[in-house]
Amino acid sequence: MSALPPAGGGLPRTVLRLHRAALLTWTVFVVGVSGWLAWLTKVTAYDPGSKGPSCYDVCVDGFSYPVQLSWAGDLIDYGFVGVAAFAGGALIGRELESGTARLAWTQGVTPVRWLAAKLALPALAVTVGGTVLSLVFRWAFAAHPDLSWENWTWAIAFTARGPLLVAYALCALAVGTLTALWLGRALAALGTAAGAMWLFSAVLTYYRPYLWPALTRTGPHAFDLPDGTWLVSEGSNSHGRFATYHPASHYWPLHLTETAIVLTVAVLATLLSFRLLKHRTESPA
Amino acid sequence: MTDTAIAASALGKRFGRRGGWALRDCTFRLPAGRVCAVVGPNGAGKSTLLALAAGLLGATEGELTVLGTTPAQARTRIGYVAQDKPLYPQLTVAETLQMGADLNPERWDAAAAERIVAAGDLNPKSRVRALSGGQRTRVALALALGKRPGLLLLDEPMADLDPLARHELMGVLMVQAAQHGTTIAMSSHVVAELEDSCDHLLLIGGGRVRLAGEIDDLLAAHTRVSADADADLAAHTVVESRTTGRQLSALIRPAGPLPDDWRTDTPSLEELVLGHLRNPGAPALAPAEEAVA
Repeated sequence: MSALPPAGGGLPRTVLRLHRAALLTWTVFVVGVSGWLAWLTKVTAYDPGSKGPSCYDVCVDGFSYPVQLSWAGDLIDYGFVGVAAFAGGALIGRELESGTARLAWTQGVTPVRWLAAKLALPALAVTVGGTVLSLVFRWAFAAHPDLSWENWTWAIAFTARGPLLVAYALCALAVGTLTALWLGRALAALGTAAGAMWLFSAVLTYYRPYLWPALTRTGPHAFDLPDGTWLVSEGSNSHGRFATYHPASHYWPLHLTETAIVLTVAVLATLLSFRLLKHRTESPA
Repeated sequence: MTDTAIAASALGKRFGRRGGWALRDCTFRLPAGRVCAVVGPNGAGKSTLLALAAGLLGATEGELTVLGTTPAQARTRIGYVAQDKPLYPQLTVAETLQMGADLNPERWDAAAAERIVAAGDLNPKSRVRALSGGQRTRVALALALGKRPGLLLLDEPMADLDPLARHELMGVLMVQAAQHGTTIAMSSHVVAELEDSCDHLLLIGGGRVRLAGEIDDLLAAHTRVSADADADLAAHTVVESRTTGRQLSALIRPAGPLPDDWRTDTPSLEELVLGHLRNPGAPALAPAEEAVA
């Protein structure tokens, strides 16, 4: 009976103890990818072997700065698929399938508090890690614009350079949880959650240019748009040429609109998860 | 405090909107301090009833009171061990007990839990995934007893224990019941397993309560009779009757004095249980029903 833990501290400690391995993996991922990006930016980009000061010299090289930057960006952007798999599988699905969730619920922890702790701690880890990755990517992406063909419209950089990255990860956490509560089996929930999140992001990526009103420019003759614009459509009609496009200043409106959509889905999935859990474990009032 | 550990009234549970009823129209009362055997064939609804009492499932209809309140509000005072003894495989035995302490901050009795684990020669540093079935049962029981429950719900607790460990752990449970007044409800489909240790019986068959009450009262209420084949049983409640040649043997609840030429004796608990399970049409006997209503 010595040293009773302070009330309320026990549940987070238990969740951490249960998911140590996942937390460690996530930390290694965040530190590893950040280190890789730093190495790219500070060493690979200045490699005398990739002799040139411009993309024309290096972009074709298989291991050059821009190529590796896109690999690292892919890993960062699609990290949410891993988060969805973790939430559907190890975090919730396995607990329901093996009955250990019931063990926790008969240890003086209500199912609702259990789910809250199960969501809050990974959400914190994902937010901190995602923020670090986003900041490091921003820095690496901005360091050598002349070494890359890509600009802000590049899908990888579009997501990774702002809070949208964290929003996708949080949404994956919520969707994985909902799927696990719905299916009750770890492997099925893992696959369904990862697939659903991947599809969701593919659909949003496809409709991305329509999330904010684009500008339209018309003219009697062919014209050039300024550098760094995102051309949505162009063509000609009876009045001459037209083009609809997003100027670079539309990055944040577009980015934040998509972030809001993803976070809304995350909140809805979380609310549904709690409702489903309460429906399972409580008598209808 | 209340003198009733579990009181159910017209309790029912259906899985899914169109699923079958796992439990229906269950009414009984389990007084506090008893050791109750929850008996019935596989699929009778025993596990469902225990999960309802543990606050793990919501009832579809009816009422269930546990330790004077709802199962959810009694959560901190209920110990529960599920049939498959779920434990976190990645934790060690010591970490599992630490989890019990962390999740039951006000009630945890570390010494009691460690004593149960130590009696099984378990290395506290072993991972749960490396334990045998019997060792898992021991850890699961330690976790349930460590929170010093007022009500202990055990679903087939002894199924995968060797006779020695079964005897020892049953002893631990009986000491717990005697010293702390813990009410214990444990299910089994092996009646003999529970006969010596239990003083209360809840027989469930086909999702309904068939028998409920003190074992002594239930045995006293029934009589095994042998008589001539033309004997008239109509005055009594017949649970089971069989005619072999000119001989009638029956299990009845006598409604009054029996004729002197009938040979009578008291049935064993197993005969009582089997008689009711073989004859689903026999009327149920749950003397506590009035007490609940």
